[in-house]
Amino acid sequence: MFEPRIVCFLCTWCTSAGADLAGTSRLQYRPNGVNIKFMCSSRVDPEHVLWAFREGADGVLIGGCHPGDCHYQDGNYRTQARVSLLYRLLDDFGIDRARLRLEWISAAEGTKFAAVMNEFTEELRSLGPIKLAAREMAK
Amino acid sequence: MAKVAYYPGCALKERSSHLDTSARDSAVRLGFELDELPTWTCCGAVPPVSEERVMNLVAPSRILKDVRDSGRDVLITICDFCYNTLKRTNYSIRTNEITRKRINAFLADDEPERDYIEKKDAYWVDYTGEVRVVHLMEYLRDEIGYGNIREKLKRPLSGLKIAPYYGCVMLRPQNEIQLDEPENPSIIEDFIDSLGAETIRYPYRTECCGSYLSVSSPDASTRLCYRILTSAQQHGADAMVISCPLCFYNLDSRQKAIAEAYPDFKPIPVFYFTQLLSVALGVDEGRQGFERHFVDVAPVLDMILQGSGKGDRT
Amino acid sequence: MKRIGVFICHCGINIAGTVDVKRVAEEVAKLDSVVYAQDYIYMCSDPGQALVREKIRQEKLDGIIIAACSPSLHESTFRTAAEEAGLNPWQCEIANIREQCSWVHTDRKKATEKAIRIVSTMVEKTRLNESLEPIPVSITKKALVIGGGIAGIQAALDIADSGHKVILVEKESSIGGHMAQLSETFPTLDCSQCILTPKMVAAGKHRNIQLMTYSEVEEVSGYVGNFNVRIRRKAPFVDWSTCTGCGLCMEKCPAKVPSEFDRGLSTHGAIYIPFPQAVPNKPVIDRESCIYFKTGKCRLCEKTCEIGAIKFDQEDQIIEEEIGAIITATGYETLPVTELQEYGAGEVPDVIDGLAFERLLSASGPTSGEVRRPSDGRVPKEVVFVQCAGSRDPERYRPYCSKICCMYTTKHALLYKHRVHDGQPYIFYIDIRTGGKGYEEFYHNAEQDEGIIYLRGKVAKIFRDGDKTIVWGTDTLTGRNVEIQADLVVLATAVVPRESTAELVKKLRIQTGPNGFLSEAHPKLRPVESINSGFFIAGVAQGPRDIPETVAQASGAACKVISLFSRDHLEQDPAIAWVDEELCGGCRICISVCPYDAREYDEEKCIARVNEALCEGCGSCVAACACGATQQRNLSDSQIKSMVTASLGGE
Repeated sequence: MFEPRIVCFLCTWCTSAGADLAGTSRLQYRPNGVNIKFMCSSRVDPEHVLWAFREGADGVLIGGCHPGDCHYQDGNYRTQARVSLLYRLLDDFGIDRARLRLEWISAAEGTKFAAVMNEFTEELRSLGPIKLAAREMAK
Repeated sequence: MAKVAYYPGCALKERSSHLDTSARDSAVRLGFELDELPTWTCCGAVPPVSEERVMNLVAPSRILKDVRDSGRDVLITICDFCYNTLKRTNYSIRTNEITRKRINAFLADDEPERDYIEKKDAYWVDYTGEVRVVHLMEYLRDEIGYGNIREKLKRPLSGLKIAPYYGCVMLRPQNEIQLDEPENPSIIEDFIDSLGAETIRYPYRTECCGSYLSVSSPDASTRLCYRILTSAQQHGADAMVISCPLCFYNLDSRQKAIAEAYPDFKPIPVFYFTQLLSVALGVDEGRQGFERHFVDVAPVLDMILQGSGKGDRT
Repeated sequence: MKRIGVFICHCGINIAGTVDVKRVAEEVAKLDSVVYAQDYIYMCSDPGQALVREKIRQEKLDGIIIAACSPSLHESTFRTAAEEAGLNPWQCEIANIREQCSWVHTDRKKATEKAIRIVSTMVEKTRLNESLEPIPVSITKKALVIGGGIAGIQAALDIADSGHKVILVEKESSIGGHMAQLSETFPTLDCSQCILTPKMVAAGKHRNIQLMTYSEVEEVSGYVGNFNVRIRRKAPFVDWSTCTGCGLCMEKCPAKVPSEFDRGLSTHGAIYIPFPQAVPNKPVIDRESCIYFKTGKCRLCEKTCEIGAIKFDQEDQIIEEEIGAIITATGYETLPVTELQEYGAGEVPDVIDGLAFERLLSASGPTSGEVRRPSDGRVPKEVVFVQCAGSRDPERYRPYCSKICCMYTTKHALLYKHRVHDGQPYIFYIDIRTGGKGYEEFYHNAEQDEGIIYLRGKVAKIFRDGDKTIVWGTDTLTGRNVEIQADLVVLATAVVPRESTAELVKKLRIQTGPNGFLSEAHPKLRPVESINSGFFIAGVAQGPRDIPETVAQASGAACKVISLFSRDHLEQDPAIAWVDEELCGGCRICISVCPYDAREYDEEKCIARVNEALCEGCGSCVAACACGATQQRNLSDSQIKSMVTASLGGE
């Protein structure tokens, strides 16, 4: 079966803590993602996401605090604004929007983190491996 | 006149067909038509007590899928058991992916043998719980509105003291049914209120009548029904109103056995909610099948008729 | 080229059970810059840490990675160990292969692959890590305690006694909280008021405590050691500085308001103090019920007050304070009886909750300590106590155990029996939980000698029939259904966090768990701290607990604050933003995105700068910088890119 590779950019206060809670609760989910922890989801530069796709990621997850709960006051709103603009850019690159997910997962939502990882993996499975014209040409 | 898909269920088709009549009559008076499905089967009526997890959902799913395929999204039922079965089936299909897949596999499998669908080019669309299953009582509350009922009353039931009886399957389990608060409901009370009658509060309104124990251990059911009926009477009820044919059977017909077992017992008339609605809306009392009741409804009926005169002959 | 060492922890079988740690070590050893990779059974143990220190020296490592549990647990442990061996702490990184790998996967092969990628990702980060020094920041040695119940009072007193200033903020007009409502406390049956009042008075008089009752925290900004807090002092419409607390105004007030303190069992005027022992003993006017505020006429209290302390034109005040540390002790409420549909939904007058029964038992309560039921004031002869009313009920109400009810219900039954000798108390319970010093003995005595009937089972339904309140329940030990014709029913309703706590945590930006109680930094080892530094927690706001536990925790939180204040300055994480002056074009986008005003414009050089004392290191400006001039220390764009590549298994 196709095993998609997922890069997860998680904020340390909510989503990474939520992922830790999924661990302490011993929830089981698909092992397709590797987490990269930032202080805030607003540290995610759109370039990081594009870089991930360039390097062969089939999907990118950005996890932040729920709206209004950002540890840095309004960082997650900036993330949201950036992601919505980034979606348009993904269209230009021919990358399916479904390959980039922005999720608000709090430190109490271990179950949600596990569910999102499972769901996202399934979705990417149905989309199949990423194909980038530039990469194909480079080969 | 708006047509709403209608699933009568077996009890109302046969043994209690007079209840079906009263439901249809009332609907017309309120400005909509209960449009019976062209073909339907028994809903199964057992999921609440069954160990099986999938097979018992196939029949109700087929009914629901037919409603969806006919381009409608609401299905009305007036029997608590059918309501419970259909609604819970829908809930399983909506919330459980595995159930959804298995059910649709079964439905797809028997599709070719069903002669009334002769659309060879029709492509298969999985049923995913699109239909909303609605109890007539719920439809009256949410779509018609109690105010509307009040306006259309020809014979308000003023002065009548009625005890509502919920039984068990109309409201439970709450997370799946979500019709009303199961421990402290108000939907039948509000319905009674809209007919102009007075509601009697008594503790047994949500207690079980014995249900199918009526078959296997009738004595248990007799004891339960005795408690329900006497409690309602002690609190001053002239009559009971219910919304489930099985409860109706237990609470009405069982009064014979109750009278034998408990000498102090006095009979009390039992009405289906559609009967009271229909009478209050002015439909002729002769169409209600009161002669099929075990307990004579005449004393209560007289109270209604004296209050407001005779109904229209329709 | 850097010399990196990787240490892989088995964590017993917690990691090694799912992840092939030997293989991780082998694979990681092949990576560039990795000169040493070793697994070990318990990396955090003394020998484990010694191994780390030894190898740093022996192998001349200038970067290490500990592949183990979440960095929230042991990052500081290993950074300290690294420092002891002469390695800069910021050259030590944690790869989380437990919470985010071994505990959440079962497929050994896949989990091992993932662990390798997690470690490789951290190797890439470490390759480009710089050695950093912590940034010293000043500290305001003044604490804020939110909530004036026993937890807040104890914490405030402890901090104040150590010589530091404390502001104690309480929403109501008096401190005291729920403990002031209680009659006698288990298991010693000492009078709650008698042990609490001296503490209330001490808090009110302490020269280091500034009491701000009838006040609420509006806004909190800043960071540990340097918070800015805005507090709203609600207008009491009484000038507290001149009011003598004589109480004449309260006698004259014609309005009748159900007393919240007495759980609606008595009334007071629109101008009132919640209870006679209030601290401060000054009245407030409840705007909602005051006849003058509603109709424009009355002002009886104003006419009565000889010194003219009534001020109808008073307005709310906003007070700004600089604070170094914050303790949240906002306490609890109980699940309203109205929510318990099967228990009468609040419509049966003789069904009351435990706190209301405390008021009936209290010598200073509405019945002066005589047990009289609300409906007709008669002394109830059959009283049913229902435990777990809304607790341990995941389907309909709250899933957790409220912890205090077993003990207080036993106490209630006992005190009832002491007052009504011919009365019969019944207690419905699921389990009797008596963990605590002297608790089991207390229960044992009540059960054996006091004639209380314990029924193991849940109550299904409660309703009113005539002047009786009928209780239907089950006795699971005999397997029989039980019907009791009770005169009074007391529900041990679930302990729930205060509604206002949900609002407050948003302002403080601290976390709560799924049931709305405050989250601690670590459930066992850091029970009085929030994960956000500078925030501490105490009392039932964190979860159901009894008075001794609350007091112990409050002192613990106070101790943490005192230890924070014992330092001359705090150290701030230096992994913050910095600017490459050569690259900066002075567009000032960074200034517009910074939530802390930490970015400023240098008019002379026409570039943007970072104010290191204010920067919190969120990285928002780094992502916003169009030309890559702003970078985050030890999390630069080039680090991130190579981390991403490594996380995908490399190319």
